[in-house]
Amino acid sequence: MKNTRLPFSRDIIKLNNVERVIDRICERIESDVFQTLRRRGGIIGISGGIDSSVTLALATRALGSQNVVGILLPEHDSSPESKRLALDLANTYNVKTIEEDISGALDGFGCYDRRDQAVKRVVPEYDPELHKMKIGIPPELLRNNLPPVFHVTVVLEDGKEKSVRLPLNEYLQIVAASNFKQRSRMSMLYYHAEALHYAVLGTPNKHEVEQGFFVKYGDGGADLMPIGHLYKTQVYQLAKYLGVPKEIIARTPTTDTYTAEQTQEEFFYQMPFEDMDLLWYAWENNYTPVEVGPVMNLSSDEVVKIYNNFERKQKTTEYLRMAPLRDYIF
Amino acid sequence: MENKLKEFIAGITFTEPAKINSNTLLFDEGIFDSMGLLSLISFLEEEYGVKVDDLELSEENFQSIKAISSFIEQKQK
Repeated sequence: MKNTRLPFSRDIIKLNNVERVIDRICERIESDVFQTLRRRGGIIGISGGIDSSVTLALATRALGSQNVVGILLPEHDSSPESKRLALDLANTYNVKTIEEDISGALDGFGCYDRRDQAVKRVVPEYDPELHKMKIGIPPELLRNNLPPVFHVTVVLEDGKEKSVRLPLNEYLQIVAASNFKQRSRMSMLYYHAEALHYAVLGTPNKHEVEQGFFVKYGDGGADLMPIGHLYKTQVYQLAKYLGVPKEIIARTPTTDTYTAEQTQEEFFYQMPFEDMDLLWYAWENNYTPVEVGPVMNLSSDEVVKIYNNFERKQKTTEYLRMAPLRDYIF
Repeated sequence: MENKLKEFIAGITFTEPAKINSNTLLFDEGIFDSMGLLSLISFLEEEYGVKVDDLELSEENFQSIKAISSFIEQKQK
């Protein structure tokens, strides 16, 4: 039998026929929404980011723009850029939008207070009225192959930053409080979906799903995830083909979760997405470090460490992808 | 010291102590995630008075019970 495995290269994950991929995704969205789920259309939370933009573009192509609604979900900490870009996107695809400010709901949950209390325990001078904050992995630990250890960074009035490693309880409290955001967004998306008898289209890409960069029952709560199998590089290919506004394509992916700006690389991924896509593909497809190292300009040892890191991430986030355990029939 | 570390790690990670030995690669085996590492850092401070700097958070120092143990010994010197 002929061996069709391609030699590893920087182009290996590039889609050769973008139009065909889009057609197949759109056929599937149409069948999932109208036939399998028997819903009249699709609801998408739009943030002005690349993933939600591509999902919306695909949905309008599959379901018709009259059957798609984009929901803007700003809150106290959101960047105003997100709203402007989301509206630009909706305008591009002629999609109706609904804006729901969820700050009040988050206040009710104590999202901001619970988070800020934990930050103050670590950085006593932190004043949420005056300072911005974020959590992330410090640059010196980004290339480290240990599980990420997060620091809280407070941006003081004079622009100086104070960064402190988070102890366990404070780390857990900040994450738990911040996750109210994704879960409140999900609740609001389902409100509109149910009110219209529509389905919720989730926007995570392959890395978010497989590395566990999503909130269980938050942005991980959806009826279908049309780009859940696509590498970020491929999402960008689709974005260009589908005519997603250039400003959205050029925007650095951020978390838009904390008051201070923060890239996804800094928060979670620990390497640029272009490299991560290739290395993840190589790992999934059993390319050896000897094949991969020269292409990625890494030593075999470094590739092995990155593979181990991927394996660990997948293992330790497995519970996020699990449905409730209900096989209690003995 | 190694036994105490093993007991602690087995406890916080819900792992059978018999499945961990001094050379088990704690991260590669998926035993430890961020939460486990942070718990361990607190434990080292409370139990041994060892404060871990960011630059000391390396595989060399934390990959196994043996490595952690010799890291503690170095710090206590």
